[in-house]
Amino acid sequence: MSQPISILHFSGHQYLRHRLVLSILSGKPVRIDKIRTDDKNPGLRDYEVSLLRLIERVTNGTVIEISVTGTAILLKPGIIAGGSVTHDCPLSRSIGYFLEPVVMLAPFAKKPMQLTLRGITSDDRDLSADLIRTVTLPHLQLFGISEGLELRIKKRGSAPLGGGEVQFLCPIVKQVKTLNFVDSGKIKRIRGIAHAVRVSPQFSNRMIEASRSVLNRYIPDIYLYSDVYKGEDSGKSPGYALSLLAESTTGAMHSAEAVSQPGVTPEDIALTASRALLSEMLAAANWESLPHERMDSSLIFI
Amino acid sequence: MDEKSHKAHRPSQSGVKAEKKQGKGKEKQHGFIEKAFAPRSGRRAERQGRRNVERDQTRLHVPLVNRTPDDEPPPVVIAIVGPPGVGKTTLMKSLVRRYTKQTLNQAQGPVTVVSGKKKRITFIECNNDLNSMIDVAKVADLVLLMIDGSYGFEMETFEFLNVLQAHGFPKVIGVLTHLDLIKKAATLKDTKKTLKKRFWTEIYQGAKLFYLSGVLNGRYPDTEILNLSRFISVMKFRPLVFRNTHPYLLADRIEDLTPREEIRESKGKCDRTVTVYGYLRGTNMRMGTKVHIPGVGDLEMKGISKLGDPCPLPDADSEKRRKLSEKRKLLIHAPMSDVGGVVYDKDAVYINVPGSFTRGNMDVPQGEGERMVMDLQDVNATLEDGVARSQIKLFGSSSKPLTVDPGPSHLHGRSSDEGEDDGDDEDDESSSGDEDEGSASGEDDDLDSDSGEDSEDEGEDEDEDEDDDEGEGVEDHGRPIPRNVRRSAGGLPTGHDRQGNDVEYADSDSDLGEILDEDEDDLVGKPSGKRVRFGEDDNDLNIQSDEEEISGGEEAPQWKAGLGAKALAAYQQYSRKTRRKNWMKLIYSSSLTPEQVLRDDPSSSASPADAEENEDDFFTIRSRGTVTTEEDLDMTKEAVKPEDLKEWEHEDLLDSIRNLFITGGGHTGNETGGDEGYEDTEGGGFVDLEAQGENQDGENQSEDPETARATALAAKKEALKRKFDEQYDDPESSKLDFYEEKKDEIARQLQLNRDEFADVDPEARALVEGYRPGAYVRIELVNVPCEMIENFDPTYPIVVGGLLAAEERFGYVQVRIKRHRWYGKTLKTNDPLIFSLGWRRFQSIPIYSLDDHSIRMRMLKYTPEHMHCFATFYGPVALPNTGFCAFNSLTSEATGFRISATGVVLDIDRSAKIVKKIKLTGVPYKIFKNTAFVKDMFSSALEVAKFEGANIRTVSGIRGQVKKALAKPDGAFRATFEDKELTNGIDIIFLRAWYSIQPRKFYNPVTSLLLSDKGRWAGMRLTGQVRRDEGLKTPLNVNSTYKAIERAPRRFNTLKVPKKLQAALPYASKPKLMRPQQKQTYMQKRAVVMEPEEKKAIALLQQIRALRKDQVARRREKQNQRKEVHRQKVAKEEAQKSEKDKEKRKEYMRAAGMKSKREADKEEGRSSKRRKT
Repeated sequence: MSQPISILHFSGHQYLRHRLVLSILSGKPVRIDKIRTDDKNPGLRDYEVSLLRLIERVTNGTVIEISVTGTAILLKPGIIAGGSVTHDCPLSRSIGYFLEPVVMLAPFAKKPMQLTLRGITSDDRDLSADLIRTVTLPHLQLFGISEGLELRIKKRGSAPLGGGEVQFLCPIVKQVKTLNFVDSGKIKRIRGIAHAVRVSPQFSNRMIEASRSVLNRYIPDIYLYSDVYKGEDSGKSPGYALSLLAESTTGAMHSAEAVSQPGVTPEDIALTASRALLSEMLAAANWESLPHERMDSSLIFI
Repeated sequence: MDEKSHKAHRPSQSGVKAEKKQGKGKEKQHGFIEKAFAPRSGRRAERQGRRNVERDQTRLHVPLVNRTPDDEPPPVVIAIVGPPGVGKTTLMKSLVRRYTKQTLNQAQGPVTVVSGKKKRITFIECNNDLNSMIDVAKVADLVLLMIDGSYGFEMETFEFLNVLQAHGFPKVIGVLTHLDLIKKAATLKDTKKTLKKRFWTEIYQGAKLFYLSGVLNGRYPDTEILNLSRFISVMKFRPLVFRNTHPYLLADRIEDLTPREEIRESKGKCDRTVTVYGYLRGTNMRMGTKVHIPGVGDLEMKGISKLGDPCPLPDADSEKRRKLSEKRKLLIHAPMSDVGGVVYDKDAVYINVPGSFTRGNMDVPQGEGERMVMDLQDVNATLEDGVARSQIKLFGSSSKPLTVDPGPSHLHGRSSDEGEDDGDDEDDESSSGDEDEGSASGEDDDLDSDSGEDSEDEGEDEDEDEDDDEGEGVEDHGRPIPRNVRRSAGGLPTGHDRQGNDVEYADSDSDLGEILDEDEDDLVGKPSGKRVRFGEDDNDLNIQSDEEEISGGEEAPQWKAGLGAKALAAYQQYSRKTRRKNWMKLIYSSSLTPEQVLRDDPSSSASPADAEENEDDFFTIRSRGTVTTEEDLDMTKEAVKPEDLKEWEHEDLLDSIRNLFITGGGHTGNETGGDEGYEDTEGGGFVDLEAQGENQDGENQSEDPETARATALAAKKEALKRKFDEQYDDPESSKLDFYEEKKDEIARQLQLNRDEFADVDPEARALVEGYRPGAYVRIELVNVPCEMIENFDPTYPIVVGGLLAAEERFGYVQVRIKRHRWYGKTLKTNDPLIFSLGWRRFQSIPIYSLDDHSIRMRMLKYTPEHMHCFATFYGPVALPNTGFCAFNSLTSEATGFRISATGVVLDIDRSAKIVKKIKLTGVPYKIFKNTAFVKDMFSSALEVAKFEGANIRTVSGIRGQVKKALAKPDGAFRATFEDKELTNGIDIIFLRAWYSIQPRKFYNPVTSLLLSDKGRWAGMRLTGQVRRDEGLKTPLNVNSTYKAIERAPRRFNTLKVPKKLQAALPYASKPKLMRPQQKQTYMQKRAVVMEPEEKKAIALLQQIRALRKDQVARRREKQNQRKEVHRQKVAKEEAQKSEKDKEKRKEYMRAAGMKSKREADKEEGRSSKRRKT
């Protein structure tokens, strides 16, 4: 009945999340093929399928067709509905993988989003829940989305078995503010969260101390919080991590994170994190790819 | 015009007279006595002040961002609307003559004129078709609403006003004509007054209404037109929300570009390629957006290009005077009208040469030869075709004509002919294209002539692009390298780079000198230059291989190879560091992927091409060098490499970034150039630590500190000055109120946006932000239905409306709708309705609904009276808050008011949540105390399971619940009730449920422009209409007919309160109904035996009582008799009295009658007397 809408065509499994998100934001159907065709284990991974499920649940009217082999998908985007959604993330990726695309979509939904995700809260591949809370959400505020924007870490879950739970609340935005942000400024404070679950609470203090040994030389305004979850809230497997955040006078942020690995002392983790933060500052690539993406999307909507 | 205009009076500018006049003026100015207007009392002053403040508030409007550029705005669209015969064309001609001093014989389509130094106007006449009125309402900035003064308002006028209201109200000026038909001055005054009153209630109190008296020389009087034009010129336009978010264009010319051959082959039925021309309005139009032409449909843009303005505003050099000169006033752009006897049609240009022979001119007698030529023109087939078509029958009675099999040679000849034709066509096309191109580039050159040395290059670039647009330059030249390279290269030190270049171009020495100066575009063409083009080239080159050639060549000496590599490295360095990249260009106008751009790596661009080549082979071994699954995970966090972090163990590196912190101080001595390096590279987003040292070019070092210091100082001074100004001047005055603040904010953002694009070349700018409103553009549309061209009529406006990304989609649109109070009928759910929403006009099937206690959307069969309701229909998405109006039919035959509803879009979704009530009925077949078995409600146990626990009710109002399915009759279930049910089968049990319904997916665009008779578009008919047309009867369901209902009288059982409950009740609530006492009392149980004297006494007492009774009875009777007598007496008296009264009244009435009679007689006598005299 309607005119055939041109389908965007991509191949390869890279940037799957961005492709999906931009397709939904722009309303253009997208076909992605050749997803790991050369691989021994071809097709979509379980977490990608799970992401597609999540996107289907967050939106209304989205049609996702996955080919038999799983190497091609067709996404006909619907309308971002929002509302309360609960999703169990597979243990192959952490919550950050699923939360990032939703963060991009949620402000443009029809109803305020209340998303509950269960799974691993921090691992060494994706942004941890802490970083999303302290870095990504403040970036949303630059676009005028602040009231009611919240990420609650209800339970923490470390790598192999997970068991964490976060709740993401996002209001809807009528108009995205224009961003005028050209000056990176100078770093005025450093904040950090050292968390430890199912290990000695002393671990987080040790991390803080080690990190301070590196960072104290620069600036006095350093607060590193020790965040120990116990009992029910501490997930199913032991782990600890340190996430650091440096904020500049103009609001630019640099972040770094290090997650516990077997056989590495908390001090080393802390040093890794702090040094990563310093190199991050040095690189001044304070803009992660995520905000860039969002800039694109917001440009679409302005 | 017979009256000759005299030379205007020129007051003397100097001398005694002028002085005198000036003096007089001054005196008059002095005459203003402030005291005279001063308030008399404090109270009055307060009231006056309040009034002033209130009046100020009316001035304020919600600030809106105006996206139309101020420097060259598009012409204002002025639509002339009114019923036929009201004088629209006359007004248009008069206005055009007023502005341009030219007379149009036939005004069709938009006419653009220059009306002032900064203002242009497009006039468009709207015919009486409702479709045209809708389209015009969507684009007009100002409407001249023409009303026949001798007749009054007509239905079309009201319809048009309502359409206007639905699509954002543009400005309206009423124009009353035909006032000369009213002869009587008083009637004229009254008519004017009543019409004005009605007009004001429609628009707003005080809306401007113009009176045009009569027609002189086929035009309205000049003075009146002059006044009208003055009103038009001072009109201010507020941006309307819908138009401020959509690009659109009112096509003033349309051209068919389809190859003739294709049309011929398909007998004119093929889809056409069409270009439309017009001024862009609204917002920026970008390539890749879809457009909608109301009346045609959604179309794909194949190309959009900016053309030279056919009706340009005078620029500063051409027009130095304050007013527009007379010469400038002659400018008019009206391709569809006959300005100077030239008419542009869809596929031809007609030149009208009056006085000579013209076709179709019947009043000129035609000679035999002329008629013959015209007949020849009428022939649309060649002789050969005619012969081929003609059939030969041997006899008049033979049934089949003779046929001849076409020989092969004949076919061959045919095809070759075709080939030739093709070639010719192509030639024609290309030549015309070339012309276009030439003119376009020429104009561009004109525009750019002030931009200095770059203009030539730019011109060339644009030429190339033009080529691409035309579809001729198919061969890919590759993307031209950003030109501003040269600019930075000019200041390049000649040290090692020169050396590098020397070596680089060693094999073509002769070019050496030029190459440095020439644009790199030129290098592309030369084989020697190939090696230099790395970084940005996209398809054909592989630097690696070139390098190999250089180094691996057998005869190349060792030193040469080394130098080549060095030079390459040096050049790379140069290109990476010193050249500021034009990111916009790289991203938007090249085919490189972002990574390639970022990496600045030519080899990567070549590798995909290689891969593709490999794919052509049947079996190839895929190189998987770059792709490793572990690396390719889609992750945001970059992996931290421990070896990278190792370096942070050194103290000096740790110290080197101190300056990044606020505690680290500014640019102190310890940092050399590294820090500036960071700052520089920050924009680029990458850091090359090793390169920092080498990065320090000589000129950078020497220049930077001075200039930087100077600029910093200037900035500081500026800031200080501003601060001082703020503090020194009244701080209160600088503080703005909320309104001003918001307006300021908007203005600032606009300025920011403008600055951002200020130094971007127009080509890149068009790619990024699109063509700006005000530009005269040509839009090429593909797959246009051929009917649009074939049935083209210039009197019907063609609007090209740009669609937003969301608006291409389809979905369920929920709207708030209200039936128009002037529309005769109610609207019914599932009846098709024609919507005018956004740019589109389409027919869809709405379902009306109402919010039921915020629980559900409940379907309505009909729209409610005088109330809004919701409607949901399937159609193209429009943004919430877009207004719309709806029609049942658009034809002019429809009597009465045609707008059936108006409303606004609320919501868009992919599913609709409308429910309608459904009642499932069943009958009990077995009744126990409070339990019943119910059948006939469901058909299977599964259905019952779905409804377990649902509330049910009997007709008599006993409530109950579905319990569980029964095994035996399928679909029967057990239900419990709060009371015992009535007898079997009498009481029906029903279950109230909600059934969700979806609107039908019906979308039928109104394709009025495709019809030859444009007013006769007919969409889907109503069911009733179909039945009427087909002569069918309405099907009648037997169950739906009404029958008399016989209801047996209802008997209710008595209320029984259980004993237990009764005991628990408080006394007040306890039932007070006692049964008569059945047990005998103590006294009753006892037998009484009396003594003899007791008996005697009792008997005596009884006797006394009997006597007494009798006595009383007798006494009462006597009294009654007495009373009766008295009553009779009184009645008698009463009768006598009334008799007397009657007499009295009679007497009085007789006297009164006599008196009146006498008076009447007297009157009569007097009058008769008078008559006698």
